[in-house]
Parts: sequence; C-alpha cells; structure tokens
Amino acid sequence: MSKTAAQWNATPKFPTSHFVDSRIYTDEAIFSEEKEKLFKPAWFIACHESELPGAYDYRLATHPAGVPLIVIRGDDSKVRAFYNICPHRGNTILYDPSGNAKRLTCIFHQWAFDSRGNCLEISRAEQGYQDRFKKEDAALREVRCEVAFGGFVWVNVTDDAPGLREFVGGAMDILEPFMQQPMEVFHFHKARVHTNFKLWHDTNSEFYHDFLHYFNRITGMMQPGYYERKYTPFPNGHATVGSMQIQYDKYEGSKERAVGWPGMARGGWYMVDLFPGMTYNLRTSVLRIDTSVPLGPNEVLIEFRGLGLKSDTPEERAQRVFDHNMIWGPFGRNLHEDLLGVTGQGRAMRRGTDSRYVIQGREENSTIHDEVGMRHYYAEWSKRMGRRAHAPY
Amino acid sequence: MIKTEERLAIEELIYRSCLALDAKDFKGFLDLCDTDFRYTITTHSPEIRRDMVWLDHDRKGMETLFTNLPRHNSDHSPLTRHATVYTVNSSENEASVISALQVFRTQLDGGATELFAVGRLHDTVKLPAIKLARRVVKLETRLLGYGYHIPF
Repeated sequence: MSKTAAQWNATPKFPTSHFVDSRIYTDEAIFSEEKEKLFKPAWFIACHESELPGAYDYRLATHPAGVPLIVIRGDDSKVRAFYNICPHRGNTILYDPSGNAKRLTCIFHQWAFDSRGNCLEISRAEQGYQDRFKKEDAALREVRCEVAFGGFVWVNVTDDAPGLREFVGGAMDILEPFMQQPMEVFHFHKARVHTNFKLWHDTNSEFYHDFLHYFNRITGMMQPGYYERKYTPFPNGHATVGSMQIQYDKYEGSKERAVGWPGMARGGWYMVDLFPGMTYNLRTSVLRIDTSVPLGPNEVLIEFRGLGLKSDTPEERAQRVFDHNMIWGPFGRNLHEDLLGVTGQGRAMRRGTDSRYVIQGREENSTIHDEVGMRHYYAEWSKRMGRRAHAPY
Repeated sequence: MIKTEERLAIEELIYRSCLALDAKDFKGFLDLCDTDFRYTITTHSPEIRRDMVWLDHDRKGMETLFTNLPRHNSDHSPLTRHATVYTVNSSENEASVISALQVFRTQLDGGATELFAVGRLHDTVKLPAIKLARRVVKLETRLLGYGYHIPF
C-alpha cells in the first residue's frame, strides 16, 4: 500500500543508528560545517609519489576543505605541500596542474619561492619595503605532508590535528601486505556530478548495490564466497571489506585475469573506505583510489586514479589498463552505473523534493549486504559534527 | 593525390559511422568496419603527464561490448556526433583520415543539448574497400560527468 504524507514523513521503524535524515545531504549550513569539522582536520590524499618522480616536479591539488595546494618534490627529494597562494596579493602561484618548477614564481609581481617554501625574491623589495618587510617575512604557508600507505602523498591543513598513523589506525592493515612494491599511476580522471560527497562514499561503503551492476552480479554475487565477505569497522569512521574470488570469466568478453597482484590470491578484491571521503579499491590487477572534493551540498568532484606496479612490463601494464577500463574507466561498465546511481540520489534529494530519510537498516552479521559500513560512517559523522545524522536539527 | 570520388567515399564512410553510432545501429557501424578493425579511445592527462587509453577493443571486443550493453544500466540520453573531415592522405592500400569530432548530448526530459566532448578521429581506411580498419578517438575532453557506455 502506498503512503500518505504523514506516513512518508514518519520516523522509520528502525533504531536511530539505522537511518539518516536526507537533509544532511542538502543543507548548506551542514555542508559548511562539514568542511570545517570533517575535512579540515582530516588527512587527505593529494596525489601519488609517481606523479612527482624527480626534483622540482610539482602537482596541484584542491583540498576538500577548499585550500588550493602545491605538492612539490624538493631539491632534497622530500615531498612538501604549500598553499598555492602568494603571500603578497593572494594570487594563484602555479596555474598548470603539474610540471617542474625550480622557482615558484607568481606571475603577478614576480615574487619567487623555492621548493622548500622560502621566498627567493621580492621584486624591488628595498625600494618599496625598505627594511620593514623582507624575504624572510614572505615564505609560503606549508602544510603537513607525508608519503605513506602505498606511496600516496597525504596532506593535512590543520597543524595540530592528530598524525596520519593515528588518523588511519589499523584500517590499512588489510592492504599493507599488498603495497610493498612501488606503484605507478597510469589512469587519472575526474567526474563532477550533482550529488552529495557522502552519497558517493556510501556507495563505496555498501555492496548491496551490486544489484545495480550486471558485471558484479555475474562475476561476484552468483559465485561462491560472495556472501562471506565481511565489513570491519575501524576507529575514526574507516571500514574495510574482505576479499573473495571474482569469477571474471563468467562475463562475456571478460576472462580470468592474466595479471594479478603480488601477494594477493587470484581474483581477489579488498576495499578500504577512509573517512570522510577516500577509498582504496584493490581488485585483482589494479588499485583504484577515489578522492572526493565536495563543491557544494549537491555537487562533488571525484578524482579517480588507477595504479599498477612500477615494475610492470609493457604487456602487464596493458593488461592492467584493459582490466581497469572494462569496469572502472569513464566508458567502463561499473563506474558509469555507480555515478548514474548517485546522480539519481542527488536529483531525488535536492532541496524541496520532500525526500526524508535514507535507510541503512540491513543486518547480515557484517557480511557483504549488511549496511554496517554506512552506519559506522554516520556514527563518526554525528560525533564530529555534534549533530545526530538521523535528526540533525 | 587522392581522387575526388575516393575522398568523397571516405568522407561518407566517416559520416556514416557517426550516423550509425548516433542511431545505436551497432551492426550498421560494424558493417562499415574491416574484419581486422580496432577501436581505441585515448587522451592525455596534463595532471599526471601521461597518455592514457580509456577503451581498446578489436572487432570481436566491440561486438561483445555492443551485445553486453543492453544488460547494463546506462544513461539513455542520445548522443549526436558531429565530424568534419580535415585531412585525407592515401597510399595504395589505405588512407589516413583526421577529422574533428564534437559530441553533443541531449537530455531525454526537456531536450536540452549540451556539448559533451570534443576530440579528433584518427581513422585508417582500407582501400579500395572503403572500410574502417582502425579508429583512434583522441579526446580533448576528459571531464565526462557520469560517463557513457557507448563509444564515441
């Protein structure tokens, strides 16, 4: 029987941990708070070390809290991160998304900086500033930066936030054995979609939506071991998903993966979801990394990276690229479906649609269709936001 | 120097390939292709400073792709491909053709059309059969929103 307005708006018949108010996906004030309370103190993957192979190689990144960053490998090979903001008149210093720059020179007035953030030159400094302002006063703002967990460059814009190891805790233990060899990014693209960043993370945090994917239904859901995959929650809102053996040859045009991953069983698949918006997805021959940069309550920019091993032969790399593209490329079978799915959520939940609740009520002993991953995320969200996800006002 | 009639036939092949894909007439598209046909989408990422392959199939792979697509959940907004043949350079057995490509997407609800992607088609045409032997779509556009299942 269909519902009346009162029934539609009634509180779901679940414990309050098992649903959220859909206004947490649309409210501007909540979104602003999220940037301050969730993203600013969190560690964030800015890029991978393979994107900065040599001295002075740099990569621009936008931090989810909104800060534009330069990540650069210094003359001492150390990777550092700075605001991409000139301390003079607040201009952007570097414009191209990547490159090699021995001097970081602001085009506006030619103030120049080195790869350690020191100011090298202020144009006509003495004439204008006499001895009131010197190069030493004009250094770049450096943010905390570490290369870890598979060679990724992690940044944190809050100086007194807990350290990276403390933030991640044991969540990466499941993947660490498989990330001992140097890796290399071979794929990068962005998707800008009209949905809330949490909805993308939710999709990465629940496998019940495998019903959306013909590929996964055939190669995963109908195969032995699928329903034994387990979620494990970790402190700080992170969660992992255990492996199974994917039967790739069940999908026409696919076949058992010729290239695997060192240390991982054939056809394996592990996932790590990191609060508040990053995912490691190691599936058989490719590591995929998702990083979300929220642009508004109903808009998110997701960066997708595909990685193989630095030691790959051309044939191995070509196979990894093929495997990646079949499901995860912009023309791949699964990514398009996932992005369509969350765009549909964004459409249905935008302000004024009278969307009320999102139910996360499945309990299956923390196995693959249990929605514990999302519940765990929103418990952390509620704690950090000082709001209850099921009743945020 | 390529004969005018041959150039016109090659241009028509390129345009027919766009019409067939626009109409989701995959059999019609493959009928324009040689038995050794290969299709690739490439692009360059200035972010990671690498050339990337986003799709790569031989003829059998394309046939399988087209067979599988109806089983998937896809955006059903139609695409309109606009190609302009820029250059045709031919030898005895084949011609190399470079065309500009614009892809427009039209929303089913309301019919708003947006520019979806731009790039170039680098085609190899088998002569005298006038069949597509190789297509490399070199995309400039990399931000494709939620993407698309059907190749450009």
